Formats: sequence, C-alpha cells, structure tokens
Amino acid sequence: MYTFLSPKTLEDARGFLKSYPNLKIIAGGTDLIIGLREGLFAPDAVMDIKQIPELAQIKQTDEGLEIGAAVTVSELLCSGHLSGAYNALKEAGLELANSLLRNRATLAGNICNASPGGDMLSASLVLDAWVETVTPEGGRKISLSDFFTGPKKHVLKPDEMVIKTVYPKHQGKSAYRKKKRIRGHDLAQVGVSGLLKGDGVLTLAFGACGPTPVLIGGFNTKTQSRAEILDAAMNGISPIGDVRASKEHRQEMARYLTEAVLDALEEVRK
Amino acid sequence: MSYIGKSIKRHDGVQKVTGRAEYVSDIKLNGMLHAKILTSPHAHAKIVNINTEKAKALPGVRTVLTGQEENTLVGIYMVDRSALASGKVRHWGEAVAAVAADTEEIAEQAVKLIEVEYEVLPIVFDVKEAIKPGAPQIHENAEEYDYIKGVFHPEPGRNIANRTKVRRGDVEAAFARADVVIERTYEQPQVFHLPLEPHGSIVQWGVDDNVKIYSSTQSPFAVRDLFAHGFGLPRNKVEVIAPYVGGGFGVKSGIHMEPLVGMLSKRCGGRPVKFIPTREEECTTLPARQGMVSRIKTGATKDGKIIAEEAEYLWVGGAYADYGVNISRAGAMTGCGPYDIENVKVDSVTVYTNHVFGTAYRGFGHPEVFHGIERQRDLLAKELGMCPVELRLKNLLMPGRKTITGELITENTGRVDKCLKLVSDKLKVGEGYTSQQLAEMKKTGKYRGKAATVLQKSPAMPTSSASSAIIHMNEDGTVHINVGGVDFGQGTYTVLQQIAAERLRIPIEKISVAPGVNTDMSPYDWQTVASRMTVLCGEAVCIACDDVTRQLLEMGAIALRASKHDLALEDEHVYVKQNPHQRVHYSKICMGYTYENGNAIGGPIIGRGKYIAQGLSFICPETGQGKTALDWTYGAHAVEVEVDTNTGDIEVLQMASCLDVGRVMNEAMLKGQVVGGVLQGLGTALSEVVRYDDKGRPLTRNLTDYKIPTFKDMPGNLDVSYVETPQLDGPYGARGVGEHPLISITAVIANALANATGVEMFDLPLSADKVRAALRQAK
Amino acid sequence: MKAINLTVNGEAHKVFCPENITLLTLLREYLHLTGAKVGCAAGECGACTVIYNGKPVNSCMVLAMEAEGAVVETIEGEAKDGKVSPLQQAFIDNHALQCGFCTPGMIMSARALLDENPKPSRDDIIHAMEGNLCRCTGYEPIITAIEQAAGGVR
Repeated sequence: MYTFLSPKTLEDARGFLKSYPNLKIIAGGTDLIIGLREGLFAPDAVMDIKQIPELAQIKQTDEGLEIGAAVTVSELLCSGHLSGAYNALKEAGLELANSLLRNRATLAGNICNASPGGDMLSASLVLDAWVETVTPEGGRKISLSDFFTGPKKHVLKPDEMVIKTVYPKHQGKSAYRKKKRIRGHDLAQVGVSGLLKGDGVLTLAFGACGPTPVLIGGFNTKTQSRAEILDAAMNGISPIGDVRASKEHRQEMARYLTEAVLDALEEVRK
Repeated sequence: MSYIGKSIKRHDGVQKVTGRAEYVSDIKLNGMLHAKILTSPHAHAKIVNINTEKAKALPGVRTVLTGQEENTLVGIYMVDRSALASGKVRHWGEAVAAVAADTEEIAEQAVKLIEVEYEVLPIVFDVKEAIKPGAPQIHENAEEYDYIKGVFHPEPGRNIANRTKVRRGDVEAAFARADVVIERTYEQPQVFHLPLEPHGSIVQWGVDDNVKIYSSTQSPFAVRDLFAHGFGLPRNKVEVIAPYVGGGFGVKSGIHMEPLVGMLSKRCGGRPVKFIPTREEECTTLPARQGMVSRIKTGATKDGKIIAEEAEYLWVGGAYADYGVNISRAGAMTGCGPYDIENVKVDSVTVYTNHVFGTAYRGFGHPEVFHGIERQRDLLAKELGMCPVELRLKNLLMPGRKTITGELITENTGRVDKCLKLVSDKLKVGEGYTSQQLAEMKKTGKYRGKAATVLQKSPAMPTSSASSAIIHMNEDGTVHINVGGVDFGQGTYTVLQQIAAERLRIPIEKISVAPGVNTDMSPYDWQTVASRMTVLCGEAVCIACDDVTRQLLEMGAIALRASKHDLALEDEHVYVKQNPHQRVHYSKICMGYTYENGNAIGGPIIGRGKYIAQGLSFICPETGQGKTALDWTYGAHAVEVEVDTNTGDIEVLQMASCLDVGRVMNEAMLKGQVVGGVLQGLGTALSEVVRYDDKGRPLTRNLTDYKIPTFKDMPGNLDVSYVETPQLDGPYGARGVGEHPLISITAVIANALANATGVEMFDLPLSADKVRAALRQAK
Repeated sequence: MKAINLTVNGEAHKVFCPENITLLTLLREYLHLTGAKVGCAAGECGACTVIYNGKPVNSCMVLAMEAEGAVVETIEGEAKDGKVSPLQQAFIDNHALQCGFCTPGMIMSARALLDENPKPSRDDIIHAMEGNLCRCTGYEPIITAIEQAAGGVR
C-alpha cells in the first residue's frame, strides 16, 4: 500500500521527491496503473502532478513549444499548436492508443515510460526535443537524444521529475508513420518519424526498431539519393522479433514507412 | 403471421442500456469471501512440494487449498481435469492452489506467499510428435478416465484423447484412378473466444451440502449435473443460477471454476466465495479454441468431379480434452464439407499437448475443418483451370444424395447451392478485372481478388439432448415464459417471445421471458450451445403454447357455452368461430372461470412443453456411419479483398454472406448474428493467434498482446441475405444459425488472397507479416 | 483509508476508501454503481468507460484518489425521469447490443462524443469509439445507433 500525494505547487512536489525515496509519479497513469496492478512497481508513494498549475500549460516561448508534464495527448492535439514542423507530433498523437486513453495519457508519461515503440518518442526525437526536470535540489535540461538507455529505461534519477518537454522551432516539415497488426488500437510494430528542414537536412527516428527509439540524423536530400538515405537508415536500426512482428517484417516495414515519410515530406518541398 | 420474421427488439434492451442488467461480477452477498488462485509458471512439471503455511498465517485469510488436500475430477465428455492441479501441472497458467480471504487484496497477498517446488518435465507442443510412440505422456493414467464408451475412442499411451473415423467407399482405388490429386497441410493456431465478461462464479456450499452457485455460464444444468456428479451430491441439493451472461462463444459451456470455488466455500463454513478471473487468467487458466494441423488429400477427375478425399485432423487439444473429444468427433462428421464424395477416409484426433486446454468455440470445429476443405476446392479448381464456383456447384450435396456419414439429403434439408450462387453472383466471383484495373494494381502494388466458400453445420450434441419450457398465464392474461436455456446475447428469448405471441395471439409486449436461469425453478435444458436453441427450445415453447391453447379452449368452452370445436383464439380472446362477437378475454379464464353465482372452475393455466432431438443415432465406431445431424444449416460467403503487397495488409473491400436459415424468425437479430460472426471470423483470419515461447509460456496473455477486431477493423460493405428452405421439424421452419457465420471465413480470405496475388497460403492467421513473408518467398 | 469527495451523476459523495484503488473500484464496490464493467483492468476494452470531468475515460485507468473534486457521469445517470435517453433508445431500436457487457461503456463513449459533436460523421464515430471493444455485434449496428441518436428521435 502506498501513500497518495497530490502537491499543489512545484515546491511541494520537490519536497515529496526528497521525503519519499521510493516514489512514483502519476501523470496520465495509463502505464503506471497497469504496473501497479501487475506488481511491477511497489512504491511507498504515488504523486499526482496534475494539481500543479504550471505543469498543465502549453506555451509558445522564445525557446519553442513548451508542453507541461501533466498535459494529456488529447489536450495537446486540441491545442492548435501542432502545425507546421510539429506535424509529426500530431500524427503520432493521433496514432497513440485510442481516444479514451488519449484523454488520460500524457506526452511526458509516454516519454518517461521509455517504451522503445512509444509513439511520441520518435516524433520528439526528430524534433530535437528536450525535457526539463526538477530534483529536490535543482534540475536540468536533458536532450531526448541522451534520455533513453534501454527498454523502459532512461537517465532520470529516482528523485528527479520531468516538468515539461520543449520542442525548438523548426523551419520545415515533419511526419510520422506507424505500422501495427490491426487497423485499430495496437502498439507499433514499427514507427518512423522524419523532419526535413528547408535546407534539405533530414533527420529520421525509428520506434520499435531497437532497445531504445533510434535517432539517425545528418542526411541531406540535396546531396543524397533516396536509396542512399534508406540504406544508411536501415543500417542504423536493429529490430527484433516479438509477439507483434517478426524481425524481417520490422526491417521491411521500417524501410517501407521511411519511404512513406519521405513521400510525405518531399511533397512539401516541391 | 404477425410476429414471425419481424425485427422485434430485444427483450432485455432496457436492462442492458441502463447498466441495470446484473452479471455475476456485479453480485455481492452477505459474508462473501474473495478467491484468488496461484497458477503454474511451467507448461509441464511435477509438483514436488507446496508450502501454504505463510499464506494461512496472513490475517484475513480464511482458507488455502491445494490439489493435494482436496480435489475432484470434472468434465462433460472426457473427465480428465481436476479442480486444482494434482501431482503435476500440464499447462502454464493451470490453477495450483487457491485462497479465500476477506478481501481480494488479502487473497492476492496470500497467493504470493504460497511456495511451490516444481520439477520441470519435457513439454509436448507439436501434435505430430505427441502421437509418436515414446513421446512424453501428458496423462499417465488416461485409461482410468471416465468417458462415454462407444462414443469416444481414446488411445492411452499415445496422448490421444479421442479418434473418430469416417470410412466410405474405397479411397485408395479412387485416388489411383483420379486425374488430379492435391495434398496439403494446414496449420491453425489456438485463438481466444474473448467474451468481454470473464468466467465469474460465486459458490455457497452450506450446511447439509446445500449448494448455491451463481455462474457466468451457458450451461446452468450441465454445471449442476457435473458439479453434483463430481462431489457425489444429489441434483436437488445443487442450485445453479445463471444471471445475465456477458458473451460466451462456447467458452462458457461445460463446467469451469465452480468446483474449485465450491470447495473453498465448503472449507469456510459455507460462506459464499466469489472468484472473478482477471483477463490474464481468462487467457491462461481458462480454455481457448483448439489449434489444428490438418492434412487433406483430394482426388478428382479432369472434369472436376471429386471422387476421393482423405483427411487427417490433428487437434491441438491442449492439457485437457474435456470438450475437445467431442469437437474432434463433430469435425469428423463434417470432415469433407457439404460435398457429394463417394470415397472418404477421415481421421479426427484430439491430441493432448501442453498448451492451454481447448474447448468449444462458435462453430465447434467446423471453422477449422472448413479452412482446409475450402482451400482444397480452390486449389483443385486452379489445378484444373476451372472456375472455383463451378467446381463447387458440380460437387455440392443435392437432394437425394448422402452425406459422408450416410445421411440422406432431402428437399427440406436446405440448399447450399442456392447460397453459393447468390453470394458469388452478388460479388461476380470468377469474373476477372479489366486490363485498366490490373494496370492500376500493378502500379500501386495493391492487388484485388475475389473468392467464395460454402459452409455447413449441424448441432454436435448427445442424441438425447433435450429442452423444455413452462408458460404461466398471469391474472390479466399476460404471459411469462420460463426456460432453462441462457440468452447470453444471441437473442433466443426474443425469438421465444415471438413464437408465443404468434401462437397465443397475444401482443408481444404482454409476453415476458424470465431473465436468467435458476435450475431450482427453470425447466431443464441441456446446454445453450450448438445453435440448438431456436430449434429445440423453440419447439418446446411451441408445444407449451399448444398446451396453453388447449386449456384456454377448454375454459373458453365453459365460459362461452360452446364446444371446443367451435372455438378459436385471437386478440387475447377465445371466440366462437361462427359468432366472433361471442368471446371471452383471457383474463376471465386464465386463473379459472367464475360463474354468475360465484361457483368457480378450472384454475391457473400453466403450459408445459418438452422436446428432444428425434431420430439421432450413435455412429459406427469403424465407419462413422449414422445420423448425427438434427438440422444442417448451409451457407456461403463471398469476398473481395485488396492486398497491399508492400505491407502484406489485407483489406476486406466487400463481402456477401448467405445462409439457408429455413425461416427468418427475427431479421434484425439474425443479421446481428451474421455481422458479428463474420467480424469474429475475420479476426481469426487476419490477426488472432495465441502465441507461446519455446518453453510453452503463453506470450499473448492480455488484450495488449492479443488483438481482436475494433471499430476500425470492420469490413467494407457486408451484404447479408437468406435462403428459406423450411426445416420440417423446426419451429415455423427455422434452423439454427448462431455459429454459422464464422465458418469458412478464413478460407474465403485465403482464397481471395490467392486470387489477388497468386500466392497460396495455408496457415493462419493471414497476418501482414506472414503475408509479406509468403510474398517474399514467392519472388 | 482516506476520504475522497466527488460528484457522481449529479450527487455529491464523500467516500472513505483505500488509497490504492481505481475509480472503477470506487464506483463498483463503494458506491455500488456496477454499470461500469471490469473487462480487462488495463485500458484496452472500454467496458468501464465513464465521463470524467467531461471526457470519456477508462475508469480502470484513474486512481480513486485522483478524483478529488471530480465530476463523474456513469451509465446509471443516463436515463432521466424513469425514461431511457434517446441515445439508449437508439441502441435498443438498432439492435446495437447483444450480451450487453460492453454496452454501458459504449453508451458513455457515445454520450461524450455527442455532447462534444452533436452531428458526428461516420469517421468521427469510429474514431471516438475505437477504445470500446465489442465481441458480439460486429460494431455496425452501434454506428447506426449513434447516427440515429445524432439525428434526433425518429
């Protein structure tokens, strides 16, 4: 049995992070509650961060688009902020689970759950996002490219909490494509995101193609052929077979979806 | 007729849309305890030792039970499964110990404190290996199990729980003279039924062995019978209540957790104990549909006449064959489909393996058999360069011919040929695409294709399977129907209301069917399975109505001072045929008639009806010849798919399904059965598969890993139509239809895939990754 | 045990319950509102759907303690004054239910959709209802029922 905490301020939350070393944070709860039920976690305290006003905000600032850790995927999709280069985030959000779960699930929760196939992860990676965290003593910025360390593993310390995710401004266009076993709600067999900037610089990221989401950047569509890009990208991923797809199917679909992402992006460049 | 065929609304609609319909999990009783189970983490292992001391010591725990302490063997056909594993476990997820405690949470904590020491045994997963001499045996004492002798044929020492044979003509000679012989193997994995409501039960085993069971079951009387039999109790001491039941599709037939929960209650001084399985337990402790490996060899002349067929059906029975033995028997009876074939050899074998055990699933073996049979027909047509529809029409069973088990088909048996023509005409199966369309397909990599399949099924049930009905009239002439069959969504009770309204000439809103079944109060019904309710229970209601009618006429004769011969029923009145204005309302006679001076005569009118399948016989153990079918419902599906060869995805663009239902009783509900059954079948065809790792551990234990069709997975347009060839012994000519829409769906999709791409696939599911793999291989 | 205050179907409740239960358990076991069903307890089936602060959610995916001050609508509040709502009637009229176990959740998802979008397209309906599984009906009659309810009482 755990204690339920519901801080109203960030300061209170930091206090709890200090006083409960074995604490779990609940934002949307769609992964946490399953983990609690299955006994994957046995925390002393569960801290709800949805009563902290600043964590519920979505803001455009000089740094870019800031999304509070308590913002649900539905709220994000309805916010009107996901246009232009943030399109991949919108497409990933629409593919995340189903409409009921999107009303609970949060962007930050999806990131912190660190599932290699998490829909928001590859989209966030190509958009060069970072998270801002707090600890009892301080806090830091962590680029998502440094965030994931393995399946469901990340660099956060036990007393560290994500308070927002920030997406810098980009000139260009992004897209997300997903393959799953059925047309309805399912986890990704493969998810692919791409960001193509106005100068032809292309970044790709892959979900469910390795122990963490895989970011592969530095392509240039002005100098590289599509085949070159595809071959290089495919060399960078290492999918496995599991209950959702065979290894071979993942490899094929990663390539196929990358082409679909390129089709979507190049359409704009014309 | 005013009610038969109409789309009358569900009898229980208001209860269900308001959330008032009470399912087992919604019931709370005074003093109720909660049960949790400890399950096996191995697919095959000896239980060396179980230590329950720590669990027993936990405050709030009322009892801890292991199979070593107390047990019973249960089963409907093959009595081979104990309430708790005893001595060994035979599948991952099998219940090993159970706890009853004051709360679910305490019970769950206690379960974690139980220590079990196992000695892991080699697992048996491949049916072909399992039946070889020297294979590890899953049931060492199989010869000691109880079963119906002469009906089932186990082969102890070979992991074989039943072998049913059909022999007709001389297959060897026929193959020798055949112009074409096609032989193929088909593998189908286990799939889950996945009713949304799990198998909940509450059992109160009180003083003096009075037992009360609430169960989410399709078979309250079978639960009573098997529970009482298992524990040596008289039937009148066991009361089984089936309240609203949230779907079943076969998985809630027979008996499941009730004996275990009963033993817990008995050990807790008769306090009621509730056990609601989690979804994970539903997927690993409770049964699935059996898998199957089939090998089918078909011989034909070059003009397309099938002259011989040999089939070996190896059913992946899993750890227990309780129901599985009867599925293999039913599969043999239908083993070559609705075709006229002179020379036949079928072996249908339930094989013990270390999978989660198998049980009845909508279609009862027919979807599995028809997958191979209907693939064979298209393969043969391709080999002969014939249109597959034409090939089928040339070989379908027609009146005057006999089934492979020697049953004579008559004009009233039903017309599979009409169903096939109807659906294939609708979708123009057999017609190719224009060169423009073909060019477009080549460009996009999205290839379209069409196919059609046929289907048949009769109820697979004991020859003595019976139903009954009681009809009470109330003071105002309204009516209550009381039956022992369960309406778990299929709509039986509404059809029974329609029959009674029609026969008793009463508005349908004045007729109620008592919701739920209580074996202490409801009349007997064997089980709600096999698409048998409209026919058997419907006939019982017809007969009960006739009994009420007889009594109404008797009382009407007194009230109207007329001879019964001159009377008839209409509009809730008994009237004199030659003087219709001379009439008496039912309310004046249904509780007895009172003369002007106060003298009374008669008494409450109660109608009684019973029905038993007529003329069914046991089959010859050597040849399978006999009469096993009460009614054959035939049908056909046609489909057009689009296969995205880039991804392997199959999209169902359009479908047409047609069934010879004998008589449409309630069109909207009938369509509901077809639309729902087709989508369930598409799940089997396209995405559903129970997967295991190499140690026999299930990998698909929840709805995250096991996907069923969602709103987004519906097919494109689905055209539903019917042929009505009246069944002489069905009410108003009707036949059973609940299971049939799911049969032959997998084959029609695989045939259309082949038609679209040229790639022949034999195994299921036709998931995108497997389709892509086949396309890769074909290159 | 901790006290939680919430409004369910317009009625204010103060409930004492353990801190680790879900909103679904609170509704079913503490308020005895058993219309929301336990189908998977993992947010996959939608049988426990309720409207939570105006949005349809899986009540198995909400901790009871999160619901302090929340406004919750369940299937028990859908019929008013002894009459089923037009949406409920449309489910009955269109045979949009069989076993009925998914029905309360279906209706709550549909209710939330119609509250937000009174004239949904077929695609809107499919998109909004995707989280609710049904194994009986094949979904088609449910879509028809929602379309009919959106068109008013016929």
